[in-house]
This record gives sequence, structure tokens and C-alpha cells, in this order.
Amino acid sequence: MTMDDAFDARLKAAFADAAAPLERESESEAFSRSVVERLSRPDRKRVLILGGAGSTGSAIAGSQLESVFGNMHVPTEGLLANAGFLMSPEVLAAAAMAVAVGLVAVVLPRRIAG
Amino acid sequence: MKAPDEELVALVVATKNAAAFGELVRRHQGLVRAMLQRMCRNHALADDLAQDAFIRAYEKIGTFTGKGAFKSWLCSIAYTEFLMAARKRRSTERAMEKFKTGLDDSEAPRDMGNVVDLDRALATLKEEERIAVVMCYSCGLSHSEAAEATGMPLGTVKSHVNRGRAKLQAYFQEAEEMAS
Repeated sequence: MTMDDAFDARLKAAFADAAAPLERESESEAFSRSVVERLSRPDRKRVLILGGAGSTGSAIAGSQLESVFGNMHVPTEGLLANAGFLMSPEVLAAAAMAVAVGLVAVVLPRRIAG
Repeated sequence: MKAPDEELVALVVATKNAAAFGELVRRHQGLVRAMLQRMCRNHALADDLAQDAFIRAYEKIGTFTGKGAFKSWLCSIAYTEFLMAARKRRSTERAMEKFKTGLDDSEAPRDMGNVVDLDRALATLKEEERIAVVMCYSCGLSHSEAAEATGMPLGTVKSHVNRGRAKLQAYFQEAEEMAS
């Protein structure tokens, strides 16, 4: 606690007087509204950084996918051979990319909102 | 009847309720803004820092344990924002110079007993003294709450407050003598 004497009381009153305009109903309402509006507005910088990092990662991963799937053994006989056209490296890479992009699209807005 | 701060905090933690947080902002904005205005003496900058402090408080509200008062916790966040803003200008010393040059002289002076301006009196204190005095007199924190908020040892806060208070008393006496 501060020393309780006349000067202390005077000092406290001076600080209270200086803060008084901020306690007005209109002032506190306007400030509070601006803070709440900022809460509901996602930070653009954060969105750009996260989006940029996600896109760069996806592009790098995507460029590697074809070589990964290129080493796969595609059956040329039997039942699975009928689905062979679905197992070409290009199709598999595109499918994996679609899944990755879909996940980013689902997760990113939730992370930003949270 | 108004819900206590702790109930509103629990509501914000549980549901991220923006309206409940808005009520907390409404209750404490005067305290936080006044504290930052006295510390950095630039009203526009103080309001920006106050907004950042409330946004940070919303993000970190889950870390409020309820051990102390909500306003002390809020003041410590606002103080951290103030320090971070100062560090952005490479060093606190240079930042304070910058704040001084940005002193808003356009407003009507808020006199103490119609004699001298409180902000000018505070400008005569060392930064640590000003911070300790503002925390205790403007925010109404106890010495131990101010120590917790600033991270300074309790004894240091007490001596800063006493020294700052003595300097302010001398300043006001001198100003009143000159005026009379």
C-alpha cells in the first residue's frame, strides 16, 4: 500500500482526474467496440504467412510426388490391371495433392479463427 | 447485478465469447489506457498499445489462473506491450526520447490543483520510478501486485515508488511556490 497522507490522496485524485475522460460511457463503448471488431477480423499478416508457408510446402512436396509414385509397380495382369490407369504416377500425385490442398483448406480457417 | 470479472473470464475461456470479453474491455479500458498514457505520454501510441494488450489478453486468457486480480494480470500484459514497443525502437532509452518528442501538447493540460500538469511532473521521474508510481497510483495496484506485473523485486518497487513520490511532491511544491 502507498503511504496514506494528504499528498497521497492528492496524487491519487490527480491520476483519477487524468483518467476520467477515458471512463466516459461513449469513450469506453467506442474503444471496446474497436477491440471486439479486431477480434473478429483475422490478422491479414498471419493469414499471408500461414498461407504462403502452406503453399510453398505443398509445391515442394508436390514436385517430389511424381518420383515417389514413379517407382511403384503397376500390375499388368489380373483384376487390378483394370484399375491400372488410375495408378499412373501423374494421377496418384494429383490425388495426393488434392487431399493435401483440401486439408489445408479445412484446417487453415479453423486455426485462424481459433 | 454485474457479473464478477472471474465469471466473465471463465465464459471467455470456455466459449471464446466476444461479448463477454467486450464487457471486460469496457470495465478495464480506462485503467489500461490511463496507465499507458502516463507511461509513454503519447495518447495515440498508448491507445494502440492498449488495443494490442487487450488482443493479447484475449489470446492468452486461458493462462489467467485467478490467483490475483484480473486487473493486475491485465496491467502486466499492458506493461509487456509497452516494453515490447520500446524494444522495437532498438533500446528503451531511444524509445523514450521518441515518446517524449511525440508528447501530445495539443490537449488541454490536466492540472493538479490547477497548478501543474501531471504528465509534466511525471516526465521528471526516471523511467522505473514513473512505471512504479503509475502502477500504484494510477492502476491502484499494491506494491506486491506492481512487483508481479513488472517483474521487479518488491523492495525495488517500494523504493521506486517512494523516490518517485518524493520527487513529485517536491516538483508540485516548487511549482505552487512559483505560481503563488
